[in-house]
Amino acid sequence: MNRVKDDNINTFRLVGILIISFAVLALITNGSAIRPGQIRLIAYLFPELGVMALGMMLAMISGGIDLTVVAVADLTGILGCMLLKLIMPENASILVQSLILLITVIITIFLGSLCGAFSGFLISKIGIPAMVATLGASDLYLGLAVGLTNGSSVSNIPPILNAVISHNIFGIVPVTTIIFAICACLVGVLLNKTSLGFKIYMIGSNKTASRFSGIHVDQVTTITYAISGALASISGLLMCGHFNAARADFGKSYLTPTILVCVLAGVNPNGGAGRVIGVVLSVIILQTLSSAFAMFPNISDYFKNLIWGLVLISVMAINVISTRKKNKQI
Amino acid sequence: MKYNKIVKRNEFFVVLILILFSILIQMKSGQFFTPNNLVDLARSITVPGIMACGLLMVIASGNIDVSFPYTAMLCMFLITDYWSKVQYSGPVIWGFLLAAFLGAVLGFINGILAAWMKLPTLIITLGTCTIYTGFTQGVLKSHVISVLPEPLEQMSKHNLFTVADSASGLSSSMHISIIILLIAIISAHFILKYTMLGRGIYAVGGDPVAAERAGFSVAWIRIFVFTFCGMLGGIAGLTQVTVSGMCQINFFDGYEMTVIAAVVLGGASISGGNGNVFGTMLGVIMMKLIHNNLILLGIPTSWSKFMTGALIIAGVSMTAYKQVVAQKRVNTNILADGEGQ
Repeated sequence: MNRVKDDNINTFRLVGILIISFAVLALITNGSAIRPGQIRLIAYLFPELGVMALGMMLAMISGGIDLTVVAVADLTGILGCMLLKLIMPENASILVQSLILLITVIITIFLGSLCGAFSGFLISKIGIPAMVATLGASDLYLGLAVGLTNGSSVSNIPPILNAVISHNIFGIVPVTTIIFAICACLVGVLLNKTSLGFKIYMIGSNKTASRFSGIHVDQVTTITYAISGALASISGLLMCGHFNAARADFGKSYLTPTILVCVLAGVNPNGGAGRVIGVVLSVIILQTLSSAFAMFPNISDYFKNLIWGLVLISVMAINVISTRKKNKQI
Repeated sequence: MKYNKIVKRNEFFVVLILILFSILIQMKSGQFFTPNNLVDLARSITVPGIMACGLLMVIASGNIDVSFPYTAMLCMFLITDYWSKVQYSGPVIWGFLLAAFLGAVLGFINGILAAWMKLPTLIITLGTCTIYTGFTQGVLKSHVISVLPEPLEQMSKHNLFTVADSASGLSSSMHISIIILLIAIISAHFILKYTMLGRGIYAVGGDPVAAERAGFSVAWIRIFVFTFCGMLGGIAGLTQVTVSGMCQINFFDGYEMTVIAAVVLGGASISGGNGNVFGTMLGVIMMKLIHNNLILLGIPTSWSKFMTGALIIAGVSMTAYKQVVAQKRVNTNILADGEGQ
């Protein structure tokens, strides 16, 4: 009961921040920050970060962390683009093209979940702490990506990928937003309506207790990371569609923002708590701010780094203070 | 008994692999056991070696730090840039003291946050490392400094001795910065092995709750290890300038992975509680050897990142799996005892 109340407070807080940031931006920029074009741009861009953050959230709820999300997105993006280039026949009809794209997407997601399952295997069966296992695995995947492409980018991708990703349904809603919505709904259902989701929360709050209550901790951990890898590969495809190319360092700048989204969303880095709605709201907040920075030419990308880092540390500090206050009252 | 003990230690395997590896290189190129190659190797381990001494303490206390390369970057650029602007020409030691102080302050911030928040230190240091990078590149507007200020320039040309290989005609010089590495090694070893603080670091790494009850101040030990790691990071940053003779901001990109890999390959358990300086140095030598000789082994350099990842996973797997097996054995023993009674 208490947890539901806390979650609602957190959700209200996030909605508040979102409204305030929109209002402040609208004031500063004389309304140009809330033009339909700008909002559509935000809606088009935030899913790349958002889908990645959903995977990170799953890993964090289970009491670990998945630092491979960026590397998996890069690697599977490159593999997917290579595959698409390889099997796409020239002058194919639109139907054949879409069919081939679908096959590529399925294979890419499968590869992503394989990468994730490997990290999960390292964590559960070999017994490496999640952060080091995923840190090492992330170098492994990134290294594979660099080695495969020799550090250069994969270009001349069949135009269908970019066409699909940048399409607007009914001329208003970007496809990427729909993809993010589907992923968020699936993860939400997984966490709240299935036994697997319940087990993920259980492992995050107390691993030993879950083992003694008959949960196959190893198996659930592996599956969690596999899902995280699958989500990361979707994000990788979105990135490739957006840039119309694939490169080993596209996702590089996404790692800190991904963790920031999760922490802002109220996901406990020690495990056991976190909800999808929080991630959805905070990823929109972050993308809004990020797009707003882009409107001021004198704020360089480097300052963005500085700001993300400061926000991450302060949000964690605020969370710690408020939890301690609550514990004191009890 | 004694023989058994040596064989079981992790360092034994690292030494074994090192020997095999160097023989392999010697056979392929005939250039390994030449004086100038060994001097070059010593020169290339200077900076990662200094950093590894600091990181070893952090890992031994059960934490992790990924921000130290960026601490090094910040200190390196700030001091070199400031000195070039004011045309400083005094003794170089002030630069190192300043770098040590700045690094210690940045490390202290990590330590305070880690001790106070009690959240995973990886996330905290990832946050601070983004801040330090953003500060260096955004606020300080970092750029390449190819003409060093005079004191650093002089130090970069100061060599202890020069050796020449008569067969190939190549000569290499032992740079003076190796002394800094030696000081770092000795002080880290002394603290870990012979002081109450060092014992406390291992105790906190083994079990923080037990360490607290045994009378160690867990919070202060956390703060100390991060401060020490930051301090050595700052010194390593300035050392890199004198070793390479220029100040380039991307020296330290991805350095954290190499150093973490070196420390874990050297036998420190990533969950804390053990590890020593000797093993760590072996790990650093191994990482550098593999990095420098990938081409000799027929692997293109674009795969070097892949190799780092594979080595980290291999290194951690060894110690982690040993613990899992040991834990299983304990559990079965408890069960067997229970049934016996």
